[in-house]
Amino acid sequence: MTTVALDGRGADRGPEVIVAGARAAAADGISLRVFGDPAQLTALDGAAGIEVVPAAGEISNDDEPVAAVRGVADASIVLAAADVAAGRSDALASAGPTGATMTAALFALRRLHGVRRPALAVQLAVPAREGPPTLLLDVGANTDVRPSDLVQFAYLGSAFSQAVLGVQRPRVVLLSVGEESKKGTAGVVEANRALVESDGIDFRGNVEGRDLLAGSADVIVTDGFTGNVALKTIEGTAKTVSAAIGAAARSNPLAAAGGLLLRPALGGVRRRMDPDTTGGAILLGLRGVAVVGHGSSGAAGIANAVRLAARSAEQRAVERTTELLENAGATRSAMRDRQEPE
Amino acid sequence: MTLGRADVMEKVREHLATELEVEPQEISEATRFKEDLDADSLDLYELVMELEDSYGVKVSEEEASRIATVGDAVDFVLAQIPA
Repeated sequence: MTTVALDGRGADRGPEVIVAGARAAAADGISLRVFGDPAQLTALDGAAGIEVVPAAGEISNDDEPVAAVRGVADASIVLAAADVAAGRSDALASAGPTGATMTAALFALRRLHGVRRPALAVQLAVPAREGPPTLLLDVGANTDVRPSDLVQFAYLGSAFSQAVLGVQRPRVVLLSVGEESKKGTAGVVEANRALVESDGIDFRGNVEGRDLLAGSADVIVTDGFTGNVALKTIEGTAKTVSAAIGAAARSNPLAAAGGLLLRPALGGVRRRMDPDTTGGAILLGLRGVAVVGHGSSGAAGIANAVRLAARSAEQRAVERTTELLENAGATRSAMRDRQEPE
Repeated sequence: MTLGRADVMEKVREHLATELEVEPQEISEATRFKEDLDADSLDLYELVMELEDSYGVKVSEEEASRIATVGDAVDFVLAQIPA
């Protein structure tokens, strides 16, 4: 049985969503070790498949992540990450502060051999169709990257898409300001050139921002600054447009009737686009699985974060990523050797 | 058993060679993390944590930020271990 270490603190909506999410995931047969304040998690006492592990410390959004993770040894996220590193749990999930979660995971689980920079990846639902989501990475772990980092992100994303999302041959693209290979910053142009020559992945060239939700690619690679701006733009636009459509639908009786007729059909789209459906982001390039849930996750979001973590461990996402990187010669040293021929 | 400079140096060399995928003989006390090994702050923190775990020392954030060479890292460890 797969065991997930779940951070029992830090969720914006309180321990109640942690409790409900943990119970829902456990009902699927996932074993959980929930790290937090036992007094806040009494509703989990005696729950089948769930063990509450006391963790007195907490790291907040206001704390500087590196100092906090190194300084608060009994913080729930620190202990949960250490639990995975020690092999007592198979994967980590948290809806606590993103910076602290990434730092704790990075320090405890360590980077994969040959990976210079881990990347944060999110699953973007494609509104127009069912099926596997598009993976966008990096969405915030690294604001400044090298072209070789983008190449590694392509491999990290491709391996995850294949192993966990079930895409047989993921189509990998690079986010830029034009489809032509010469378009973009110097780093993006260089990354494009390197990716064209890369083995082991199906690189399809550049795409533009308008293609993010089009479903024409399975893995979209970018730096963490651009990726974060793109992600927040999508979220903000969806929210604003959704509110405007709702207001328009309530503006007169005829529109309201039309809105009611459309509601069942729109339900599926809304469900796919709901951030709680995907369970959050995953930090790729570590020697273990770490899922970074949305701070505002509801119970369904917590449960899906745990499910994503469990599925990633079960599908050997880390091992398959290592194999792909090594077989394709995309490790840090192999790329350095190519850049500096003797 | 007294911990010698050579022991700590060997530990540092072994860690860096494995994590940065460089040849051990390329690493000396004068080796600079950033310029010679292409190491960044993340690499340095991983080394610091490895040394903390191995020798029971504590390197503050400020001290860690001052480590520029391999020899600096060895110095910090030895300075905290009773002779």
